[in-house]
Order: sequence, then structure tokens, then C-alpha cells
Amino acid sequence: MFLNHFNYFAPQSAAEVLDLLGRLGSRAKMLAGGTDLLVLMKDKVLAPEYLIDIANIAEFKGIAYEPGKGAVIGAATKIAEIEHSAIIREKYFALHQAAGALGSVQIRNMATIGGNSCNASPAAETPTPLVALGAEVVLASLTGERKLPLEQFILDNRKTALAEGEILTKFILPEPAPRSAGRYSYIGLRDAMEIDAVNMAVNLVLEEDDLTLKDLKLVMGSVAPRPLVSVEVPGLLSGREFSDTLVHEASRAASGEATPISDIRASAEYRQEVVAVLARRLLYEAFAAAKEV
Amino acid sequence: MKQLIALNINDNVYEVPVDPRDLLVDVIRKKVGLTGTKKGCGLGDCGACTVLIDGSPVLSCITLAIACQGKKITTIEGLVENSGRLHPVQQSFIDHGAVQCGFCTPGMILTAKALLDRSSRPTLEEIKRGISGNICRCTGYKKIVEAISAAGETISQEGVK
Repeated sequence: MFLNHFNYFAPQSAAEVLDLLGRLGSRAKMLAGGTDLLVLMKDKVLAPEYLIDIANIAEFKGIAYEPGKGAVIGAATKIAEIEHSAIIREKYFALHQAAGALGSVQIRNMATIGGNSCNASPAAETPTPLVALGAEVVLASLTGERKLPLEQFILDNRKTALAEGEILTKFILPEPAPRSAGRYSYIGLRDAMEIDAVNMAVNLVLEEDDLTLKDLKLVMGSVAPRPLVSVEVPGLLSGREFSDTLVHEASRAASGEATPISDIRASAEYRQEVVAVLARRLLYEAFAAAKEV
Repeated sequence: MKQLIALNINDNVYEVPVDPRDLLVDVIRKKVGLTGTKKGCGLGDCGACTVLIDGSPVLSCITLAIACQGKKITTIEGLVENSGRLHPVQQSFIDHGAVQCGFCTPGMILTAKALLDRSSRPTLEEIKRGISGNICRCTGYKKIVEAISAAGETISQEGVK
């Protein structure tokens, strides 16, 4: 279980990172938390010639919230910092839940929010709520920056929209709408250090009557090669009054949209059923929470 | 190619020659000679290799030693006070018979110490969640949880850090 030989760089500024990345391109990999990268290297899935350690770049770290505008989270921010952030808990509860459900205490102290998306595992915890919350990512390279909705960044199993010489630097979360709430949940074999069989996030917005659904987003993880944004559930629920019948219909619709595979963690059939269960649970939870906002 | 780096382990600075691919757990055990830190799965799943970096538990088997320059590393050997008195968590593990084969113990104690540093009176649920990244192959969790809970009480009474 030795790692391959590689050259190690520990740049001290974002500009240095971009410069190195511009020169080395795909021969280099970013080392952030290392919890996925080093394991993939031990398994000989990856053998990069260069590692660029971005853990000490201040510009890539931290959570900044501005009332009315939203939050900016640096890509190298540790999952533990997000889990314990009071403002994330207050404004983006679904992300707080997903951060707390990732790995173990040790993994959360090491892993970063950027790595969790760049690794592009279909079962990743944080992309699901981030997509539901409408997160955008900022990608930087020597030629400048571009912004992309996260759902267009994660393209497929282990595939992202990162171009040669590009790095994900931050996430931008919009200010939550009034009377809105997001919730996250998952099913796995155990609570810690598991890989989710299914995870899901719901973010919904209510009209002033606290009963009619103005807008909602339901995102499923681990049931498709990338975070799966439901089209049918918003179609069924938007503009209508929240009711048990509608929730039941919506949960069946979500289940129909999921395209899971069978693997060692769960069968496709089981996952399909769990989608309906989580959808129902989360719609009730998010509805109750949105009324309290 | 090897290069000389300085690692601060338990407040001692060790100068060690490392290759970039050397893992922190191997450097601590083989080059520094502190064998209290255990290497279990080697893939970041079992928690046996847990050490504290700047006070937070991390997995030394998926951490590059070269990336730890300038950081404060604490291993199980660093918990004993200069007087030789054991840390309350260590003492509590002995008092409660929370050590069976002992392989998970160093990681378990360091994770517990960091948990109690955050809040010295955690609930049983918080303790279980806190140590869920440390696997005890003997499955002796009950006594481990009791030992951590009791250590928390000692710490909050004595104000030990």
C-alpha cells in the first residue's frame, strides 16, 4: 500500500497555485484533505506526477456570509468547519446536516467541501444539498475565472467540468428565500464511515399563506451517476397546497425518476423504494420547518 | 528524493529525512520511533492511526508527513504529563477496563480527548457519535463509552486540559 513517487509542492498563495497548475496541467493533482486522493493513490487508481498542496492557501478557506446576499465558502474549507458553523446551521441547515453525516470526526477534520464535489462520487454527501440550495462554483485558471451552477459542474461518475489548468476555488450560496427551508437525509448500512445507499436534499419555498408551495428543489444522490435533480416533483407540487396525497404522489414520482444500480451496498429495487421514503420524510420536515421561518 | 523536514511531535522537534510519499504514521513509528500510534487498515477507515494535529483528530495513515511541517502533532505518548501522571482519559480507560487487545486504544483515547476538549460533559449519544470513526475489533465499546464519560466528569471537576 505504498504511494507512487511524486513531486510535492506547497504553494503559499492562490496565484502560485494557478501558476503551477498552468504549467503542470493534468500531470498534477490538488491535495486538499487527501481523504479520497491518497486512498485512490494507494489503490493505484491514480498515480499523479505532482501533488499541489492547497491546504494552506488562506484565499481558498473560510465561510463568509453577508445578509441579503448569501454565503461564500472557500473550496479548501474543512467539512468540520461547515458542520460547526453557526451561520451555516441557521441559513443552510441541509448543508449543516450533510456535513455532519460525512465520514467520521477524523474525516471531517481532514476532508474539504471542494474535494467532496471535485471527487465527483455519485454517493457524495455535500453536493446533494448544495445543488438543492442553488450553489454555484467558481473555477479559476491563469486566464481568469468562470462561474457555473454546481449541477453543471458534476458531469458524471468521477467527472467534472474542470478544464486543464483549472481549479475550483469557492462555492456561492444564494440568500435563502423568505419562508423557505432545506433538509437532508440518507440511508446507509451504518451511520459513520459508510457510503450512502441513497441520500437526498429538499429545499422548498412557501407562499405567504404558509400552505401553498411556491417553489421547490429535490435532489437525489447515489441513485444516478451524478446528483439527480427531480423535474417531476416540482412540476407536481409547485403552486399547489401541501397535502398528504400530494406528498405521496411526489414521493412515487421521485422514485420513478431515480435510475439506481445494484451494488454491494444496496439493490436497485431497494434504493428505488428508499427514494420514496426519504422524499416523503424530507417534504414533511422541510414543510414544517419552512412554516417556522 | 529525500528532504529534511522538521516535525513538532509532543512539543519535541524532530528533524527527519522524508520522501514526499512518506505517510505520517510510518514516519512517527519508524523514523521517530514512537510506536504508540498504530497502523490498522492503512486506508483511513479504522481510526487506529489517529493523532491530533493542532488539537484535532486526523488519520495519520492518509496524511503526508511532508504536509505536517509547522503543525503541532500530538500522539498518545504526548498525553502523559511531565510528572508521569496519566491524562484523565488514559487513567479512566485503565480504571474501567476499557482496554482489551489495546490496538484501538491510542486512537480511541486521542479522539476522546479532543471530544472532551470541546465539551467535557458529552451525552452518551455524543460520545458514541464522537468515537464512531474508531473501530474496536474486540467490540468493547460499552466500557470505552463509560470510561470517556467518567473521564469527562474528572476533567470538569479538576479543570484539567
